[in-house]
Amino acid sequence: MKYYLSFCFIIAILLTGTFASAQAQRSVKGKVQDAQGLPVPGATITVKNTPGIGAISSEAGTFTISVPASADSLVISVIGYNRQAVAVSDNVEITLDIADGATLEQVVVIGYGTQRKGDLTAPITTVNTENMMKRTTSTPMDALQGSVPGVQIIGNGAPGSPPSVRVRGVGSFNNESPLYVVDGMFVNDISFLNAADIADMSILKDASGAAIYGVRAANGVVLITTKKGKLNMKTRVTYNGYVGIQVPVNVLKMADGKQYTNFSLQRGTTQDSTTVRLSSERFGGSGLNPTTSTDWYDELLRKQALITNHGIDLQGGSERVTYSVGLNYTYQNGIQDAKNSFERYNARFQLEAKAFPWLKVGFTTYITNSTTFVPNAEAFSDAFSATPLFPVYDEQNVNAFPVKFASAATIGREDANPVASAYYNYNKLKQFQVLPTLYAEASFWKDKLTFRSQISQLYSSSLRTQYSPERNLGPGTSVTVSNLRSTQERNTNYILDNLLTYRDGAGKHHWSLLLGQSTREERWRQTWVSANNVPLVEESWYVGQGTRDQNGYNEDGFRNAGMSYFTRGTYDYDNKYLLTATFRADGSSKYQTKWGYFPSVGLGWVVTGENFMKGQRVFDFLKLRGSWGKLGNDGVNANAGYAIVNTGSANSAIFGSGAIANGEYIPGYTVNRFFTDVTWEVVTEWDAGVDFEMIGRRLKGSVDYYTRKTTDAAFDRPFGFTYVSIYGNWAEMVNSGFDVALSWDDKIGDLHYQIGGNFSTLKNEVTDLGSLPSLMSGVFPFVAEFPNKIEVGQSLRYFYGYEMEGVYQSADEIAKDPVASNYNATALSKIQPGWLKYKDQDGNGILDNADRVNIGSYLPKVTYGFNLGLDYKNFDFSIAFQGSAGNKILNLNRGKLYKASNSLNIDEEFASNMWNGAGSTNSYPSARAIADGWFKVGSSFFVENGSYLRVQNIQLGYTFNVGRSSAPSNIRLYLTADRPFIFTKYNGFTPEITGPGYDMNVYPVSATYSFGVRASF
Amino acid sequence: MKINKQIAALVMVIAMLTGCSKFLDRPLENRAQATEIDYANTSLMYQPVSGVYRTAASGTFAKWISVTIRSVRGDEIETGNDDAGQIAIHNYQNNVTVKSYWGINDMWISIYGVVLAANSALEELDQFGQRIGSGDAANQKLHAQYEAEVRFFRALGHYWASRYWGDVPVLGIESNDPNALSNATKTSRADVLAHVMEEMDYCIANLEDARPNQAAHVGGVTKYTALMLKAKAAMDLAGNNNGSPMWDVVLDCTNQITTSGKFNLFPDYYQLWKKPGKLSNEAILEFQYSDFGNATGDIVTSGGANELWGNFFLFQGPENTYGMPISGAGWMVPSQKAVDFLTARQDTLRMRTTILRCGVNGVPGTTAVTPDGDQVSGNAGLKKYFNGKSYYPKNQMTVDRVDYYGANNNIRVFRYAEALLMNAEAKVRKGQSGDIPFNEVRVRAKLLPINGVTIQQVLDERRAELICEWWGERFNDLLRTGQAATVLPGFITGQSEFLPIPQEQEDRNSNLKN
Repeated sequence: MKYYLSFCFIIAILLTGTFASAQAQRSVKGKVQDAQGLPVPGATITVKNTPGIGAISSEAGTFTISVPASADSLVISVIGYNRQAVAVSDNVEITLDIADGATLEQVVVIGYGTQRKGDLTAPITTVNTENMMKRTTSTPMDALQGSVPGVQIIGNGAPGSPPSVRVRGVGSFNNESPLYVVDGMFVNDISFLNAADIADMSILKDASGAAIYGVRAANGVVLITTKKGKLNMKTRVTYNGYVGIQVPVNVLKMADGKQYTNFSLQRGTTQDSTTVRLSSERFGGSGLNPTTSTDWYDELLRKQALITNHGIDLQGGSERVTYSVGLNYTYQNGIQDAKNSFERYNARFQLEAKAFPWLKVGFTTYITNSTTFVPNAEAFSDAFSATPLFPVYDEQNVNAFPVKFASAATIGREDANPVASAYYNYNKLKQFQVLPTLYAEASFWKDKLTFRSQISQLYSSSLRTQYSPERNLGPGTSVTVSNLRSTQERNTNYILDNLLTYRDGAGKHHWSLLLGQSTREERWRQTWVSANNVPLVEESWYVGQGTRDQNGYNEDGFRNAGMSYFTRGTYDYDNKYLLTATFRADGSSKYQTKWGYFPSVGLGWVVTGENFMKGQRVFDFLKLRGSWGKLGNDGVNANAGYAIVNTGSANSAIFGSGAIANGEYIPGYTVNRFFTDVTWEVVTEWDAGVDFEMIGRRLKGSVDYYTRKTTDAAFDRPFGFTYVSIYGNWAEMVNSGFDVALSWDDKIGDLHYQIGGNFSTLKNEVTDLGSLPSLMSGVFPFVAEFPNKIEVGQSLRYFYGYEMEGVYQSADEIAKDPVASNYNATALSKIQPGWLKYKDQDGNGILDNADRVNIGSYLPKVTYGFNLGLDYKNFDFSIAFQGSAGNKILNLNRGKLYKASNSLNIDEEFASNMWNGAGSTNSYPSARAIADGWFKVGSSFFVENGSYLRVQNIQLGYTFNVGRSSAPSNIRLYLTADRPFIFTKYNGFTPEITGPGYDMNVYPVSATYSFGVRASF
Repeated sequence: MKINKQIAALVMVIAMLTGCSKFLDRPLENRAQATEIDYANTSLMYQPVSGVYRTAASGTFAKWISVTIRSVRGDEIETGNDDAGQIAIHNYQNNVTVKSYWGINDMWISIYGVVLAANSALEELDQFGQRIGSGDAANQKLHAQYEAEVRFFRALGHYWASRYWGDVPVLGIESNDPNALSNATKTSRADVLAHVMEEMDYCIANLEDARPNQAAHVGGVTKYTALMLKAKAAMDLAGNNNGSPMWDVVLDCTNQITTSGKFNLFPDYYQLWKKPGKLSNEAILEFQYSDFGNATGDIVTSGGANELWGNFFLFQGPENTYGMPISGAGWMVPSQKAVDFLTARQDTLRMRTTILRCGVNGVPGTTAVTPDGDQVSGNAGLKKYFNGKSYYPKNQMTVDRVDYYGANNNIRVFRYAEALLMNAEAKVRKGQSGDIPFNEVRVRAKLLPINGVTIQQVLDERRAELICEWWGERFNDLLRTGQAATVLPGFITGQSEFLPIPQEQEDRNSNLKN
């Protein structure tokens, strides 16, 4: 749905009734509507060849005009539509076509207001909600993957779980996700929303657009307006639904029983051969030839899983009241063959009334009720390390109950049974959320001045039930008692906004001024309780039904309050020279420093508006933009700002614990003296861009270059000798890159086609780390083994380690290699052919710390998307691609080989390419090498290319009308394939890895094939 | 008109909200509040001291990973798994695998954690001290004693740090400023040891003259604990040089301990490591823990906060896959060399106490029985043994306490038996007879006395008496007697004596590179 605005309104009013005429008059009534039958307000109606007479269509699209008897036709013009002439009759109905240059006239939702797209000085992307609806995803942000330049979306395969979203790189160690504003309310995530409820979605990327959101703006802002009815609108009912199946794609193939046996025997330890022998003894086979070959991923995955969505939507309006109601049901089953799914009910109510001609009051409520069964993603990791030599079930495992899962311990391994890991996981999250918004908007002074006051609230509560039943995985008698943990959370947030908007103009000068004040408070509270020995019956899952544990509870929470004053001024001369300036003062209860100030300035120059451009035919529209501003990030944790005295039993020693006496605490305390004040992070952003429309407006595009410098980036600065670090604003980093979007629209006969594409580049650099030259980090439990490094002058968190050059092929090569021969001179376990060869960067003949280098960044250099859309008569077809390039993934599944001795398997690729003699391969080590310490270092062997290209969406639709021709029902049937194919060299399930690029416990993304219907009447 | 009213209303709302200055200034919720300590109240004066004891006992000195690292440097303990860092340490590698191994960094932080806690407590004690009147001799004496207790732990931290890393920084009270931590410089190992001895002189003069289990705070450090540490530092400085004056110090300190008449050996070497042996008259320093005799609820173990793994007994417990009460992570496996050594000596009591079996040769599905009748199975890693000195039998466990194996046992650090053997060694090295103290230890182990003991016999007895304990005595003895390179495969003199300074520490403080 698009709103259109007329800036001719005021001029038209002046025209109306100013010129009285002596001629005979005739009164004409009429209605202006768009192609979809929606009223078009603000259209100027004039009489052809008779200046001085005019009318403006009302909000219902209606108008009345007195015309001279001689008049024969009316001319209707409104921005955004082609000018149209109609013959005079008593009652005219005009249907307007959208104008060629309409996109420039489109009104874009910006922070605390709207703006004509042509006047923007900021690179604001308005999301095409039509295209978004083509994607069969349960969360709206997933549907944007690859379609917005500068916005990287990394999907998460678990049902209902939101993707990770980065706008223009990573500028913080703390919070990198953008701010979402839903009908004025700030939220951290929009997976509660149903995509069909979204009317408008704008993404603010630069300072000129986002700085009005002050301390919440640094990671970009996503503005969402839900659907609303219109005045005098015929009630429209829309049903939208699809049913589909999800199918695992790119399933990781592991070594099978035979390959594993070979590998295991080549490793050559007694333990390895014991396992092989025990497997044949217990599960079939003979001697060193076991017959068991379990494909754990196959066992763990459903062949297909259901996804379905049904929504019904009502919109309408009378003279003074508009309303809309939306109901939606979404269900997504997980592809893990265990209890994991997402089910969501949404209800949306919107009502707005014109209480007085100058006053509108309204409310919207968005209610979400969802149930998520959260999967145990660790099972995917377990499946990587589990040997194929034991089956899923084992009837001989006498002690195992309630299910006779096989235990790897019976063949001398420590692998978890992945199917059991998934099966014994019960993690149910029930969430309920209400988002009510109440507002009043008063307009004065011929609507030049508008005052709006709005209170938005968010109330959400959730109950998470985690239950693990009493069980024994065997083979021993040890029983794990049942455990219940219930976690309740509650958010109560509100925002009170008061906005005064003044919009005016004189001649070719247009200006507006916004003054705003906002107060907000966010409260979160979490309580959890846990107990053992809770009965299996779900009705008894209350902690009181089990054995209470003294440590089985905790309560957590926070209250953050903020108060802000902000203003925005816009000015343009003849829609040619554009200026936007914003300023926000933000106060926060979180930090010792209470107030922060965030200014921005944006300039635009519509070059095609100049006389010297009049003659040229290359550009239909060309605008140059530039902006600068400061944005804040209050995702920085608060701290107390004083030394903390720790008391209580955890800081008291035991004395007198003897043979008979149990000992007792003598009260004690310790002091944590390390602290500093903290405040928000500040991003200073420059953006330069160009928007253009060319070749008869068939080619449209925009190019932006940005640079974002984060100062006061907060992190835990470590010190020597202690784990105690000081969390403070120590660091600086810079992100820069290009965002480019292009599209081509044209027709060949009845075939309308559209080709679009976008890409973004990213360069990230850490420029300061306090006084530290560098800092290591990583992911648990491989923080030290596979570290990443944060270093001044380098990209954030690059993988750090040795550069693998190849594999030593022969004893001769080892003897001639200084690194290997030096190592072998003293080491107890010597380098042999088949061992990996690492590069001696400094050439000193010893593999040491100086040889550890940057072996890749998890941040993609380029992310891109492109699509093709075709319309032919009643058919439409579209295909969208999406991908990223230049990023690296640390394959931690393989990395587990580092620690694994009693629990490991290798992927099929590895197994079939393993070194087995001189010249066999230069990319994979031998089986023996894997067991040795030489292999167990962070090296580029584990770092893989994470680039991929995916066919994101293919849709074929057929649209037709049924019913009476006066009130036709429009029906569209469509077939969709979501994410059907992926092209990647990465040796893992999926190259989509959230966080700093470590692949472990990742829930794979699946393909979805569905059939859908949309009907409106 | 209406516009004016609205604007006026807006201005009022804004003014009103601005007026609510509390709105932004309210303190953060759910935070520890700023605490005022009443330094004039001397009854609180022991509190920072108790805090240091707790820091030393939980998550630091006896933390699992540091215990493992210093043990695998000797030849009595195998790594028990194929963790690359530990294996590299076990093989005396000095490369990146060791230098950037998280474990040595953790061990560094664990040990210096006690030093920093002590410095912080000294600053607190200073606050109390300033408020004690000049005429209040009783409290002045207490204050000096408390300070000595804290300084003992600080010195113990420095002592151990230099034992494992050689030249290390000595951190004084200035380290309460974090910036000092980024600039600290190294002190030579000899100077660290000299510093420790100097500190011990203060402690000896000011600590209680009591056996630890008779101290006012039962089990606290006393004069004899300080004498023991001073003797150990002196012994390290003396090395293998019989002419070193440091042997006089060793002799003097250990004489003071042995002639005090306060100590005697616990009669049952097997039970010494179990509940009956807690805080016995043999204990010179013990880290104390408790489950308070309750089946559930509060518990104090050697692990840090919420760190099950950190439990000293648990991580050394056998991997009892078949679910019997004695169960752990199966680290710290007694080496075959240690078993062979005891077997060859026919040291049956020490063997029976220290070397316990996991099934038959560690094979899964087989079962062995401990002297207390607990069943222990084989395991996936085919580990044959587990350390009996950290074995806690089921029949001594608090009834129904199932969550922390070994919960109600203490960790033995300094024992009178070691003091006797040091006394014997000093005597022999000084040309005197060490027979009396030597045979006292030997007889308790149910071995026949020896007349005219030699240095090597004393060293062998030390090895047997302290076998598989957790403080690296065996490795240190090989170092100070110059035998390491011949006894330990892979050991290279001049390279393998000390662990490299952790990479992370050098990254944070470049002074440590020099």
